[in-house]
Amino acid sequence: MQYSFHTHRITGGIGADDRYWEALEEGTFELPRCADCKRWMWPAHFRCGQCGCWQVLWEPVDPVGTVYAWTRCWYTFDRTTERAPDVPYVVVLAEIPAADGARVIGVLRGPEEQLRIGAPVRGHIDAPSAKTKGYAAIRWELAGK
Amino acid sequence: MSNAINTMLRGTTAVVGIGQTPFYKRGTSGQPALKLALQAIVSACEDAGIDPSDIDGFVSYGAERNDGQRMMPALNTKELRFGALVWTHGGGIPGALGLAATAIVTGQANVVAVYRAMSETGGQRLRVAVSQDDTAAQQLVNGLDGPAQMCAMRSMRLIEAEGVPARTLRDMALASYYHARRNPAAVGRGIELDESKYGSSRWISEPYRLFDCSRENDAGVACIVVSAQQAPYLRQPPAYLLGAPMGAARGWGMLEENHNPYWSAGFQGVAKRLWAETGYRPGDVDVAQIYENMTGMGVSAMIEHGFCSLENAAEFITFDNLIAPNGALPINTSGGNLAEGFIHGMSLVNEAVRQIRGTSPNQVPGAALSLMTGGPGDPVVSTALLGSADTL
Repeated sequence: MQYSFHTHRITGGIGADDRYWEALEEGTFELPRCADCKRWMWPAHFRCGQCGCWQVLWEPVDPVGTVYAWTRCWYTFDRTTERAPDVPYVVVLAEIPAADGARVIGVLRGPEEQLRIGAPVRGHIDAPSAKTKGYAAIRWELAGK
Repeated sequence: MSNAINTMLRGTTAVVGIGQTPFYKRGTSGQPALKLALQAIVSACEDAGIDPSDIDGFVSYGAERNDGQRMMPALNTKELRFGALVWTHGGGIPGALGLAATAIVTGQANVVAVYRAMSETGGQRLRVAVSQDDTAAQQLVNGLDGPAQMCAMRSMRLIEAEGVPARTLRDMALASYYHARRNPAAVGRGIELDESKYGSSRWISEPYRLFDCSRENDAGVACIVVSAQQAPYLRQPPAYLLGAPMGAARGWGMLEENHNPYWSAGFQGVAKRLWAETGYRPGDVDVAQIYENMTGMGVSAMIEHGFCSLENAAEFITFDNLIAPNGALPINTSGGNLAEGFIHGMSLVNEAVRQIRGTSPNQVPGAALSLMTGGPGDPVVSTALLGSADTL
C-alpha cells in the first residue's frame, strides 16, 4: 500500500511511529508494545528500555479513553496555518486505559459542552488532508456518560 | 554507579561580565544574529574589563548557530580552546553556565562567553528557527505547533486536575509587567497591565491569554565566565556560580506529551540536585529569575523548586509576593521574558547577575543569592544559583 504520510513526512520527534500512521490510514488504531515483556511503549521507540528487546508489536486497540488534558487553540502558528478556518479548535490529550494509560493527541470533533479532564472520549479516524499535514489522524469525540 | 552529590563546581567560577544589545521588536533590528552576538559579547567584555581576544571558550544552547569559529576574526581570538552547545531549547540555559564552568575547572578554557542571539531580520520567524524542525508528527498532525499550545495542555492539567488557581498565572504576568515599567531597556515598559486588561486580553491557547505568552525579540545577550581565582581582579563584583545542574529524570525527556507528572515543568530532578549541590534551600533565595515561556510553566517551575507546593501555591504565588523589593520571592525583576524581551531566556542570566551587583532596575536590597531557572517544560532543563562572595 502507498501511504500518504510517506510523501508528507514530518522529521521531528522520535520517529519510531510509522506503523501508527500506516495503521490509521488502513483504518485501525494501533499502539506499540514490547514483543518480549509486553510493556506498552508510548511514544513508540526503537528498543524496550526495560527488557532490552528490539522487537515491537503493534496491536489494535479500541480507541476509548478519557480526557487527560486539553487546550482550546485560538491562534494558528506558522506550521499549522491550514487550521485557521477551524479556530478555535480543541486539542485533546486522551488517556487510553487499554494501553496502560498511553496518552494520544487528537483534535476534538463534535459538541464541546462536556469537555473537562476525566470526560470519556471515543476516537474516529480522519483520512489524510492538508489540515493533518497529509497524515491520517485520530479525532476524539466526547462519549458522554 | 554513584549518585553521590557532586559539589566540585560549587563556587569555582563566576560571571564577571554581562552585555546585551537593545531588545528590538522581532524583525526590526536590521542586523543579523551574528552581529548582535558579537555586540553582546564585546559589551560583556567591556563590562568585565577583559580583552575580547582573550575569550577562548564559546558556549550556548538550543538553536544558537553563531558559533565561536564564526566570530574569531571579529574578536581577534588568539585561540579557541572550547566550544559547545547544550542540547534542547531554552531549557539549556542556565546549564550552559554549568558547561562553561566545567570547561574552566578542567582547564579546557579560561575565559568563556555564554551567549544567545536571535534575529528575525532576513531570517525565519523566530519560533520556527528555535524549534529546529524537531516537533513530532504526533503534534503537528493534530494541530499542536507552538510551545504555547503544548504548555497550555500542561497548565490546564495544573489548574483543572491539581487545583492550582489560574490566578497564579495572571499574577506572574502582572509582576513581570510591573517590573518592566522601571526598566528602560524593557520592550514592554510602556504597557500598564492590570487585572482587567489581562482578563480582557485575547486567548492564545487556553488557559493562556496574550499576556501569559512571551514575546520574541531580536537581540544578543552575553555573559563572561572565568575562574573564581581570576574573578576578584576584574572590574565588577563577581557573581559566583554555586550550582547549575541540567538534566531530566525518568518520566521526562522527549515523550510527546506522555510526561510524568504532566503538570510539571521538568525540574524535579535538577531542583533537588541544585539544593543538594549548593547547600542552600528555597527559603534562602533572595530573588529569582523564573524563565517563563508561558506563565503557567513558570508557576510549575516555582512549585518544583520548592518555593511552595501544589497545595499552597495559591497562597504563595500572589502579585505582592512576586514583586521587588519586599515580596517573599521577587521574580523577573527586569520584566522577564514576558515584558523585558525574549532572547530565549538569556536576558534572565544578566538580570540574576545585576541583582548580586546591586544594579537591577528593581533591586532587592542586599540580594546575595540569586536563582535563575531555565526554559520550563523542555525535554531537558537546567537551573542555576548565583551568589555574592559572602555566599561561598
